[in-house]
Amino acid sequence: MAKILLVEDNEMNRDMLSRRLQRKGYAVSMAVDGRQGVEMARAGGYDLILMDMSLPEIDGWEATRQLRAVPETREVPIIGLTAHAMAGDREKALEAGCNDYDTKPVELPRLLAKIEALLGGPK
Amino acid sequence: MSASESGAALTAEALAELRHDLRTPLNHVIGYSEMLLEDAADPALAERRVRLEETLGAAREALDLINATLGAARGAGAEEVARLYDALRGPRGRIVAAITALLPVSDDGRDGTFTADLQKILGAAERLVPSGAAGPAGPVAPMPEPAPARMPASPGALQARILVVDDGAENRDVLRRRLERSGHAVETAEHGRSALELLAARSFDLVLLDVLMPELDGFAVLEAIKGNPTLRDIPVIMISALDEMPSIVRCIERGAEDFLHKPFDPVLLRARINASLEKKRLRDQEVEYLREVGRVIEAATAVEAGTYRQGTLGPVARRADELGRLARVFDSMVLQMKAREERLRDQVRDLRQDIEQARRDSKEFPLAVDGGNLHTGERLGQRYEILAVLGRGGMGTVYRARDLELEEEVAIKTLRPEFVSDATLLERFKDEIRLARRLSDQNIVRTHDFGEWSGVYFLTMEYVEGITVRELIDTRGRLGVSSTLAIAAQLAHSLAVAHEHGVIHRDIKPQNLLLDDAGVLKVMDFGVARLAERTTSVTEAGLVLGTPAYMPPEQLMAEQVDARSDLYAAGVVLYECLTGQPPFQASTVMSLVAKLLTQEAQPPEALNSEVPPALSALVLRLLAKKPEDRVQTAAELLEQLAPLG
Repeated sequence: MAKILLVEDNEMNRDMLSRRLQRKGYAVSMAVDGRQGVEMARAGGYDLILMDMSLPEIDGWEATRQLRAVPETREVPIIGLTAHAMAGDREKALEAGCNDYDTKPVELPRLLAKIEALLGGPK
Repeated sequence: MSASESGAALTAEALAELRHDLRTPLNHVIGYSEMLLEDAADPALAERRVRLEETLGAAREALDLINATLGAARGAGAEEVARLYDALRGPRGRIVAAITALLPVSDDGRDGTFTADLQKILGAAERLVPSGAAGPAGPVAPMPEPAPARMPASPGALQARILVVDDGAENRDVLRRRLERSGHAVETAEHGRSALELLAARSFDLVLLDVLMPELDGFAVLEAIKGNPTLRDIPVIMISALDEMPSIVRCIERGAEDFLHKPFDPVLLRARINASLEKKRLRDQEVEYLREVGRVIEAATAVEAGTYRQGTLGPVARRADELGRLARVFDSMVLQMKAREERLRDQVRDLRQDIEQARRDSKEFPLAVDGGNLHTGERLGQRYEILAVLGRGGMGTVYRARDLELEEEVAIKTLRPEFVSDATLLERFKDEIRLARRLSDQNIVRTHDFGEWSGVYFLTMEYVEGITVRELIDTRGRLGVSSTLAIAAQLAHSLAVAHEHGVIHRDIKPQNLLLDDAGVLKVMDFGVARLAERTTSVTEAGLVLGTPAYMPPEQLMAEQVDARSDLYAAGVVLYECLTGQPPFQASTVMSLVAKLLTQEAQPPEALNSEVPPALSALVLRLLAKKPEDRVQTAAELLEQLAPLG
């Protein structure tokens, strides 16, 4: 079972997305801000990270940059999530080191397709 | 409907934020509904599916409405936003109705949280459009309350003094009340002239300026403000009922910050005012920053001029940013410099006392020994008149003389004929003197000229009235640590300057170190020893000219001499200052050399308990037999001396 780290500060989003991913057969761990996200990710054991970009403490862009800067998390796929869908958000996320990018509200099938693509097939 | 029909468009950022705030609860409604639908596959749960499908449908409709009004590709006016809020009430009502109908159902969700999830959907629907918000939209204030709070800049954070200039009493009143409600302090003026009077008398953060006014119109007032250096930086927002491009362009060209149409939209007004104030705040910050940079530069100039008082940078030093750090570092550096200067002053004062004492004690010191080749009153060439003999050394005699051309006293050193008989050597010596002439420093006796008259070769130098360190030690015995440090610092400085210019002294010894009455040390004979070089080696004819006691092994052995050889000699001088005797003493040159090569000097602190161990160790490092074991440069010696004094 693939392990996903969900970094999301909004409680409802966290609750919903984690449950929906668990139903699809993923093991989901959660962090509530960028700092916690970086700590947990560096502790290891995750196959993929879903990273909300607008986070308190350390935002998602910075957290992603930090994860890309250390060997233990350099290769872990990260999907950036933003609610703004502003032009340039996608580029910003990819530039920070995200492998892919999706907008909120999350369309689950679309997000699942991206997750599966990065994990190399349906789990 | 075009943006201009509903007032000017909101900024892209404001729109994005609004879009986000509206989509988030919908995201929750859709997400939870989809999740619950997945659980409701059982045919027995058909009714539940219907309700959840209804919920989803309503939520998607709401999403479409939001995207249609607030799509990133188009601008939206505040009135459109208000209409959107109104339109969202429909879908919201349907969501609430569908979910409420499901609530009495017993909890059998897959996660055991069915009821809780329904409550979450209801909560999200409530956040989409607050149910308490006003009903049908009026034409003047259609915006529901939450909207202003979504504006990027929070009002209240930027309370400001605002001047409203409008000839219409009603407009003035409406504006004043609106702005005051936002927490601003407001003054009003009914025409251009009184506006300018108010601006001259008080300070404002922002001006709202009507374009069409009798007499002095808005354009003229704007020009007056922007033409006045003290008012120029106050942002001006123009207000006009005119909606034609040329008048907007005219305002912007004359320096207006922004332009608002009448009747203006209150939300837009607030947003623009906040944006202008924020811009002004940033600009003020920048101006203040530059002013403080100026203060630091001023302080640096004051330090150079010696007029800096510590703490002058107080306000700058309290800043939390890098400029503040610079100011703090600067202040502490100046403090250290001052402390060091004070210590140096104390040392020089001690040295001066030693000098005065030595001069009193050596009244009968035979300074003016006769016996040179030249006699008092004699002229050297047409230019120099001999006044007195100052001393005699291995190379020749030193006279005090008057430069008749420049009418000042100089020192003249004549060279014994054997030193100048070799043409090659003489050329090399001239090269050295040419180099030495470039040295100009308060711790170095200036070399003026090299000349020849009637077969007498001579050097002219700056004349320094004072005594040599040799005389000082001879009359005072060993010197105190403080006086020695004063000598050491000045000697190291002079060597640093000379070495930097490629000049090696080769004959540093107490006899060549002059002290004037102010305690200023001046090193003389830079370059002169070059002439004696060929004959300084003991290996040649056993004749050692120069002063073997101050020579390092490599010089005595006629090996490569470099700057580090001068540092060895400096070490011997300091050793002698501290202990009253050179590190090695012997009756013949040969036994001296033997001692020097085979024995280690006793640490100065062993001979004088007042010598601090660090200073003692530093002197021993200067006396290392191998050049590579010594302090390597005079500059480094200066650095090492600094913490000792």
